[in-house]
Amino acid sequence: MSIIKLKDVCKSWGSTQVLKNINFECKDGELLVLLGPSGCGKSTTLRLIAGLETPTEGSIEIGGKDVSNLPPVKRNISMVFQNYALFPHLNVAENIIFGLKARKVPKVEQQKRLENAADILGLTDFLARKPAQLSGGQRQRVALGRAIVAQVSVCLMDEPLSNLDAKLRQEMRQEIRSLQQRLKMTMVYVTHDQVEAMTIADRIILINEGIIEQHGTPEELYNQPASSFTGNFIGNPPMNILVPDAQIIAACPATIFPSHDATATYLLGIRPEDIEIVQGSGLECTATLIEYLGAETLVVVQAGDHAITLTVPGRAEVSAGDHLAIRWEADKVHLFAAANGRRIETLTGAML
Amino acid sequence: MRLSGAGIGKIIETLGAWLLGALWLLPVVFAIWSAFHPAEYSTRFELFAPVTTENFVRAWSYAPFPRYLLNTFILVTLILAAQFVLCTLAAYGFARFDFFGKNFVFALVLLQLMIMPEVLLVENYRTISELGLLDTIASIGLPYMASAFGIFLLRQSFKIIPTELIEAAQVEGVSALGILWKVYIPLSKSTYIAYGLVSVSYHWNNFLWPLVVTSSVNSRPLTVGLAIFGAPESGVDWSIITAATVMTMAPLLLAFILFQRQFVQSFMHSGIK
Repeated sequence: MSIIKLKDVCKSWGSTQVLKNINFECKDGELLVLLGPSGCGKSTTLRLIAGLETPTEGSIEIGGKDVSNLPPVKRNISMVFQNYALFPHLNVAENIIFGLKARKVPKVEQQKRLENAADILGLTDFLARKPAQLSGGQRQRVALGRAIVAQVSVCLMDEPLSNLDAKLRQEMRQEIRSLQQRLKMTMVYVTHDQVEAMTIADRIILINEGIIEQHGTPEELYNQPASSFTGNFIGNPPMNILVPDAQIIAACPATIFPSHDATATYLLGIRPEDIEIVQGSGLECTATLIEYLGAETLVVVQAGDHAITLTVPGRAEVSAGDHLAIRWEADKVHLFAAANGRRIETLTGAML
Repeated sequence: MRLSGAGIGKIIETLGAWLLGALWLLPVVFAIWSAFHPAEYSTRFELFAPVTTENFVRAWSYAPFPRYLLNTFILVTLILAAQFVLCTLAAYGFARFDFFGKNFVFALVLLQLMIMPEVLLVENYRTISELGLLDTIASIGLPYMASAFGIFLLRQSFKIIPTELIEAAQVEGVSALGILWKVYIPLSKSTYIAYGLVSVSYHWNNFLWPLVVTSSVNSRPLTVGLAIFGAPESGVDWSIITAATVMTMAPLLLAFILFQRQFVQSFMHSGIK
């Protein structure tokens, strides 16, 4: 059963259209990540679901009910904000039950939910503190507490981890994920961090310039990018997107190209880890940059006009300026139409 | 011993601060000295001059100071309460809602900041007279209740409250007035304290308008009462005048000394200095 449904949602600010025909569904108990670069419209989408903005066109359903024109409170949602939105004049306990008070939940029930949430989040010893006396991670937990006590099925998160340092971000990410699974929450989670999206999501919606580039599981987005944008956005280091010239075409079996029509032009996408350095014949290139990352080494090579990134497990026995030969398997190549960047299936099967 | 440039600067700064402090304190010290000593010592300093409270007793009995004090107290309370309510609502409107002509109306409010109240003395008198409110405490306060300064100050302080907090309250279903009460007002506490102090001290000391609009003991505030008391035709007795002055300023001075820390902090927080 899908609990959130967006149908042909458009949003404009004056004459600028920030969202164009957004259609998606989010299933009950699913963690859906809205991913995209800054200014792509992902936060706007979340705010539309929350009811903090109204769509210019289209409709939004939550729990089978059209909520397009309802205020946030009638939508049965909770929301966690980027800067936590904790009231500085209230202590932790008051912050957590702020919404319950506003909704006039009985005192006894408030207390019960507060204790439960504080217990889950390990905040029991901090209930009397003011937000200013808490660390970043603790503040984040208080914000989560507010979402937990609301006991609504849908929780919206607007870049909740962006103010934490890298290590804490990873911890909180796992915590949010396990919390979401334990409490069977339906969660819509906005982030610009593809690692965060990949690790936490059941499904990802990748948005770019107000349109959905791809909607799928993290595996689908990684292994079968629907466009060159997805290929480039997902994965670290990003996929190499090459405009094939004679040199590149020579490096892959020509049979992978579906059409030999000279007017049809393609973009070639190859993941850095799918490229290997070989002895003997291959694409001739020169190493320009070596970055040792511990578990792997990132090598940037220059082949003609192309800067190509590849990763080598462990330490690579190359140094900048070395002449190398590289190659990749035909079935690792992703093809995109140069005109619109959409994916084109390769003919690798036919070749094999 | 050699002094560095910074050291000399520091000394000059300290001396300057003491000098300004002393200048400010001088009239207060004189008033207190004169109030507590017999008339012959009022303009003469002698360390072991006899101390007396007789001046206070006489001043107290010559004029209805308790009544004046009560009038002033009612006046500042009334003005402050009305200002808080009116300015809060107006500032909330300007800070949070979009309506037709908002900027124009706000410009009109700011315009009021540039007009000296004294300029409107005659016009205000006419209005109060038409309302039939002459010689009442309300008439002294009425022209000041919709304070442009207060509206401006609170609007600024409302505007810097993060929208996230407002949205969080919205998601929880708090109404527009609830948001004002539960989010805006508590978060602007320091502005309210600072503005309250400015307002109370201004109206406690305000003189010209109350003098014009009041004519009886029932409405006269302390400042006007004191001026009439010290008028040349009633004979100048410095000891009694200073005793009365000390009585006038004592409550405010005491309040400031007691709440000094909070006041200074709130000024720092609210950004008015």
